[in-house]
Amino acid sequence: MLNIYGNIFVFFVAGLLFVFLTMALVRIVAPRRPNREKNKTYECGEEPVGSGWLNFNARFYLIAILFIIFDVEIVLVFPVVVRFRYHLLQGNGLTAFIDLFVFASVLFLGLVYAWKNGYLEWLRGVRKQLRVEGRVTLLKDWMAEQSRLQGDKNA
Amino acid sequence: MLERFNMVNRLSPDANMVLTTVDKAVNLARANSLWYLLMGLACCSIELMQTGGPRADIDRFGSLFRATPRQSDLMIVAGTVTLKMAPRLRLLYDQMAEPKYVIAMGSCANCGGPFDLSYSVLRGVDKIIPVDVYLPGCPPRPEALTEALIKVQEKIKKEKYFLKKEG
Amino acid sequence: MDPEKLITILTSRLGIAVQSMDAMKNDDLMIVVDKKHLITAAGTLKNDPALGFSTLMNHLGVDYGDSMAVIYNLYSPALKQKVTVKVYLDRDNPEVPSLERAFRGIDWFERETYDLFGIRFIGHGNLKRLLLPEDWDGHPLRKDYVYPALYNGIETARIDMMNETDEAGEPHV
Repeated sequence: MLNIYGNIFVFFVAGLLFVFLTMALVRIVAPRRPNREKNKTYECGEEPVGSGWLNFNARFYLIAILFIIFDVEIVLVFPVVVRFRYHLLQGNGLTAFIDLFVFASVLFLGLVYAWKNGYLEWLRGVRKQLRVEGRVTLLKDWMAEQSRLQGDKNA
Repeated sequence: MLERFNMVNRLSPDANMVLTTVDKAVNLARANSLWYLLMGLACCSIELMQTGGPRADIDRFGSLFRATPRQSDLMIVAGTVTLKMAPRLRLLYDQMAEPKYVIAMGSCANCGGPFDLSYSVLRGVDKIIPVDVYLPGCPPRPEALTEALIKVQEKIKKEKYFLKKEG
Repeated sequence: MDPEKLITILTSRLGIAVQSMDAMKNDDLMIVVDKKHLITAAGTLKNDPALGFSTLMNHLGVDYGDSMAVIYNLYSPALKQKVTVKVYLDRDNPEVPSLERAFRGIDWFERETYDLFGIRFIGHGNLKRLLLPEDWDGHPLRKDYVYPALYNGIETARIDMMNETDEAGEPHV
């Protein structure tokens, strides 16, 4: 039963070989002639000003965390779907479905929480503040206003 | 690495049949995947864009445009090079990795073109970088640029890396 | 709008700033202004509610050989009229107040005029060369410009054609 993992192992090794063998081949064959100009940071031909390393915005960390959570969720869903067929043959497909549904809905609630609290916006809380200040209008409010004005004009 | 240990450019062709084929294979791979650095400076760049467009497609030769010199091995200088742009062009050429090739496209890149009497025009890009193919025209048609690319491909296919170069 | 009507309105608003006012073709009107009154004239043209020349269409410099000039092409969306404002400068010390505070878009136009003619704009925040390299010598569009022999080791003029003339008898460079 364990030798089914042999397939995966072979694929894994082949994948690694694909990458590292080509990189090694390039290292061996290709010419390597560094000089001062070639090693300068690329700045569209100008002399580079400032550091080549940048600080990344911390908001990307939040996006990365959210992505990891939902990616792991998807990865966990796949084997369940495969086993779902087995349970269907045994007659309790509904149990498996409810199982998976509860799992997905718990994570979905997490997404709804993040959405409502503004974690998906680039600047959290800005939209609400702009609406309070009157600088941003919701589409439905704008359309209501327009139809009210049309109604006034007709009357 | 082979270069550093002096294992290239040493064997004569009749001594080693295998390396002839390796050379040919490597040259074939290099010639059919020439990625070019976009150096579209003036009107010739419109023709360069059209050569990459659907009608005269150089993507079928494996060429595609890169905006950075680090990922390109061909520089198509398309347009007038002014004296202000010249040091930047030279730096970009230096930042490309070997082996690199240059096509001077259009009269302005060949010899200054219609602007060769101006005070601020570099009369020919070969004053600052070595050019492999000169392509005349003002601007050259996309078919002409395709032919220039094919000439660079022919040049690459004749190169010897593992085997000894003549002369 | 009738050019006469425009001339009367402008004369009444601008007053002493104007040296001369002539109609040009293409419905244009040329106003020659003295250097000292340029800022007040431009301010009136832009801010006066009856005039409203708030759009700067173009700005350029001219070298006439014995004097220089700067030209501003203004447009009024309210009156749908064009106007050209011209200021004559002397060649030895060509200076003119900058209109950057009135028309923000004139920034690079004035830099270009400085680059090619050498006309200094007083009050401009960033008067550097725009088109030519930073270490270039001289101002090329002047009538008495002499090509520098070398720029960083590269010839700027076709030395082999310097003393020749083309078919029409004009010198090449």
